[in-house]
Amino acid sequence: MRSGSLPDARWGLRATQAAVFVLLVGAWEVASRLRWLDPFFFSRPSSVAERVARWFASGEVYGHIYVTSLETLLAFLVGSLLGVVVGFAFALSPALSRVFDPYVKVANAMPRIVLAPIFTLWFGLGILSKVAFGVTLVFFVVFFNTYQGVREVDRNVLNNARMLGATDRDLLRHVLLPSALVWILSSLHTSVGLALVGAVVGEYLGSARGLGYLIHQAEALFDTTGVFAGLVVLAGFVLVVDLLVTSVERQLLRWKPPSHVEEAL
Amino acid sequence: MRLASPPGTCAVRLQGCRRSFRTPDGGVYVALDRVDLEVRAGEFVALVGPTGCGKSTLLNLVAGLLQPDAGRVEVFGAPLEGINRRASYLFQQDVLLPWKTAEENVMLGLVFRRVRREEARRQARAWLERVGLRGFENRYPHQLSGGMRKRVALAQNLIVNPEILLMDEPFAALDVQTRQLMENDLLRIWQEERKTVLFVTHDLEEAIALSDRVVVLSAGPAARPVGEFPVELPRPRDVTEVRLDPAFGELFRRIWELLRGEVLRAFRLAP
Ligand SMILES: Nc1ncnc2c1ncn2[C@@H]1O[C@H](COP(=O)(O)OP(=O)(O)O)[C@@H](O)[C@H]1O
Ligand SMILES: [Mg+2]
Repeated sequence: MRSGSLPDARWGLRATQAAVFVLLVGAWEVASRLRWLDPFFFSRPSSVAERVARWFASGEVYGHIYVTSLETLLAFLVGSLLGVVVGFAFALSPALSRVFDPYVKVANAMPRIVLAPIFTLWFGLGILSKVAFGVTLVFFVVFFNTYQGVREVDRNVLNNARMLGATDRDLLRHVLLPSALVWILSSLHTSVGLALVGAVVGEYLGSARGLGYLIHQAEALFDTTGVFAGLVVLAGFVLVVDLLVTSVERQLLRWKPPSHVEEAL
Repeated sequence: MRLASPPGTCAVRLQGCRRSFRTPDGGVYVALDRVDLEVRAGEFVALVGPTGCGKSTLLNLVAGLLQPDAGRVEVFGAPLEGINRRASYLFQQDVLLPWKTAEENVMLGLVFRRVRREEARRQARAWLERVGLRGFENRYPHQLSGGMRKRVALAQNLIVNPEILLMDEPFAALDVQTRQLMENDLLRIWQEERKTVLFVTHDLEEAIALSDRVVVLSAGPAARPVGEFPVELPRPRDVTEVRLDPAFGELFRRIWELLRGEVLRAFRLAP
């Protein structure tokens, strides 16, 4: 009974969502054609669609997508790696965490955007400055989650592994790391999202390639259609990345019980 | 398989052990004091006492997870240093790794001993079968019932072939039927393997049904053994049937007389 009604409800939801989309885009198109909205400032959906289609047809957009993907991936990987290593060091060494605690707090509270120009200065206009910027965003999320994950490990679970003969390295590999991974994975959407924000904002502030650059350039030419087209491509890109993250998460968290909320639904 | 240690030797000996803890208000709480206890190799000893008297603390001393403030702990005649490598420990709490399957959890001790994966897997399957969990190898802990998880934990402990088995109220959280099944399974395995067992429980009937000897711990603070009762019921036993033995009831009355006083004392002392 439930399994029968569930897909129905799902289709209903999808239909409603699609209807909302059509309504909004339709209203925009109509308003623009009737000159209620000035096309110079607001463009119109049909022009935006045409522009996006042209970008893909000519192939000029692929290079930008590639650069942004690369920056996002690198920022995510480097930021995560640093976050895990430092998170572990802090969690396993109380002295270290006590000494550096105020520095971490200040660094995390700082609006990272102010670093972007400095990174451009240091690392140039290429992908390196965007990666560095993304890393400063990703690092703290992963760092805090790793720290928490290691600290939250149940004492009895650790003792049980010890009694079974685990060395310190075994504990790290079989207990502490997986436990931290649970926390890190729970923030995967956030950290990947931040890596992407780092890449796009970095490009926007100064670069010669990437989706952020594409949008910035159109803006500089008062080309609203170009800006919206860039946003559409970016939105599609974000959607694809999010789907990828979700499938990775599913794969890695197979062992987890479904949450009570999901069960209740 | 390692040879069981010669019977009659002393597997565990505690002499004048004291262990205290810091309390949150800055004071010191002496949980155990002047504890003397001997467990012979191959013997099944049950430890009973009121809640909070220090049973788990005593097991932790024998496991080497805690050190005594005073006194000594000997394992097969040698002073214990660090973790007790000749013992395994079935914890009261759920301690399976949630991200590993039943089989992977059981394998753990062999993995830590650098046994080859295939061999470890083969033995894990055999042990899961012995504790009645055939077909559940690939389940994750959350997909098993409480009783099944305890069986996995038992297999996890036994696969490393420990000489001494420490068990902390392992069946306390189980329903009566599951509990009796597991008690019988434990007795059967113990009968086959002749391990030394130190079994903590607050259930006196369980203690008598399983053990060779019941040791009663006094109420805390400064708890210590205040009575020892040999259990001379015939083996092999069935935990349900043995309760009907008149000698069982007689023994129960004798031990309860002592234990009741301690339970009441613990109750009155409770804050
Ligand atoms: N790590 C600890 N820190 C402080 N007090 C503890 C600690 N472990 C045990 N205690 C105290 O020691 C006493 C005995 O505890 P425990 O051995 O767990 O009792 P039991 O297992 O018999 O119920 C209790 O009063 C408990 O509060
Ligand atoms: Mg206890």
